[in-house]
Amino acid sequence: MLTALTRAFRTPDLRKKLLFTLGIIVIFRLGSVLPTPGVNTENARKALEAAQSSELSSIYGMVQLFSGGALLKLSVFALGIMPYITASIILQLLTVVIPRLEALKKEGQAGTAKITQYTRYLTIGLAVLQSTAFVALARSGQLFGTSANDLPILLNDDIFTVVVMVVTMTAGTAVIMWLGELITDRGVGNGMSILIFTQIIAVFPSELMNIFRQKGAFTFTIVMIVGIFMIAAVVFVEQAQRRIPVQYAKRMVGRRMYGGTSTYIPLKVNQAGIIPVIFASSLLYLPQLLVTLFANSQESNVVVEWIAQNFGSGDTPIYMATFFLLIVFFTYFYVSITFNPVEVADNMKKYGGFIPGIRPGRPTAEYLNYVLTRLTAPGSLYLGLISMVPIFALTLAGATQNFPFGGTSILIMVGVGLDTVKQIESQLQQRNYEGFLR
Amino acid sequence: MTIGISIALILSSALMVLLVLLHKGKGGGLTDMFGGGFASSFGGSSVVERNLDRLTVITGVVWFVCIIALGLLLKP
Repeated sequence: MLTALTRAFRTPDLRKKLLFTLGIIVIFRLGSVLPTPGVNTENARKALEAAQSSELSSIYGMVQLFSGGALLKLSVFALGIMPYITASIILQLLTVVIPRLEALKKEGQAGTAKITQYTRYLTIGLAVLQSTAFVALARSGQLFGTSANDLPILLNDDIFTVVVMVVTMTAGTAVIMWLGELITDRGVGNGMSILIFTQIIAVFPSELMNIFRQKGAFTFTIVMIVGIFMIAAVVFVEQAQRRIPVQYAKRMVGRRMYGGTSTYIPLKVNQAGIIPVIFASSLLYLPQLLVTLFANSQESNVVVEWIAQNFGSGDTPIYMATFFLLIVFFTYFYVSITFNPVEVADNMKKYGGFIPGIRPGRPTAEYLNYVLTRLTAPGSLYLGLISMVPIFALTLAGATQNFPFGGTSILIMVGVGLDTVKQIESQLQQRNYEGFLR
Repeated sequence: MTIGISIALILSSALMVLLVLLHKGKGGGLTDMFGGGFASSFGGSSVVERNLDRLTVITGVVWFVCIIALGLLLKP
């Protein structure tokens, strides 16, 4: 492992890529702690401490997680990658609904580039919306809940300061998007996921320390042991795949012989990755956001109260059930988007490949679909159960809502980590044949 | 002074957003995020893209300096 790492650093272009990625990460973290001009940092810090000790801290848990603690500091990169993720989700869902987008997606590379461009525009739009919402909340003192009403978060209440802040945060989101693309383009791994990974890792040690301080050494040790087992389990399932054998027929093209090889199609148990979890939690975050926006109106609304009661925190039965069902649904949805059995079968037929014992064409597509559906069933249940873990931990061990080995953060850490290591390895293998994973 | 820097910040922010949007999107969206195999690298970047990169970096530095200057000026 270590020798592989030194070898990675000894390879000139890989070293350049790794250092480039690290540099971007440093810039990204720097922007995440740099406060937006106009924020009273002293008061913001006090209000954050007050909010963390109260019940309300769980409301922003998800956003706080994705922004690495930057959001409640109201830093320049406060919005983090949330707008980009939301925009991607919206466009992914819209490709099913709007025929034009579907046509674009079928066009291949050019069409996908167009969709990416739309995603980028939408990201900026969402960034304007969200930054306005957050600055407005901060101005009226509701960002940290009711407990910290007396401390003004902004230095100056006039509209000009507010506009400057909104514009700065929007530009910050654009910069994050660019940084992510730079990593994808010139660094190692996928930029956006590496940035999410960074933010989660950044809050990780402080959350562990919180447990240590609040619950004592015994609970801390147990949490660590459980966490390590969970990481092992997640790695195990993430690597699990079913290999469907494919035999290619021999054929002559001119004087050369092609094919005649046997390979396999790897179908992962969890083909969808962690996207379903992100989809589901971003969706479930919406009612909470609505409640925060409407909660201060004087007359009590039945709907608002019901939402606040059932979706306000993550440990109500209705919330848990909805979360679980949404994850299962999105797993199937996302697998159906990313893996199209008919297309795969057609491609195989075109190049003279077939699955032994099954006729090419429609029967192959049906077979692939059958296997994939059955394979996704445990995959989706696994995703759902893993994301339930923090809630179980809440009831069993009395841990906090922001349990550091929470399902989402563990899935993201392991998923992105594995992916990045695999990519480094494939680059290493271009030079010599030993990588990290044997 | 404060107002001048604020206006500079707004202008550089707007320019920054514009420049980033002018780039060709290489993020690839969510599709190849998290376990989507290997992102294919598209060769070297074109001259336009390289100049755009340079402009974006310069704007970014100006933007960053503006933020820090304004933050220091507005310190309570």
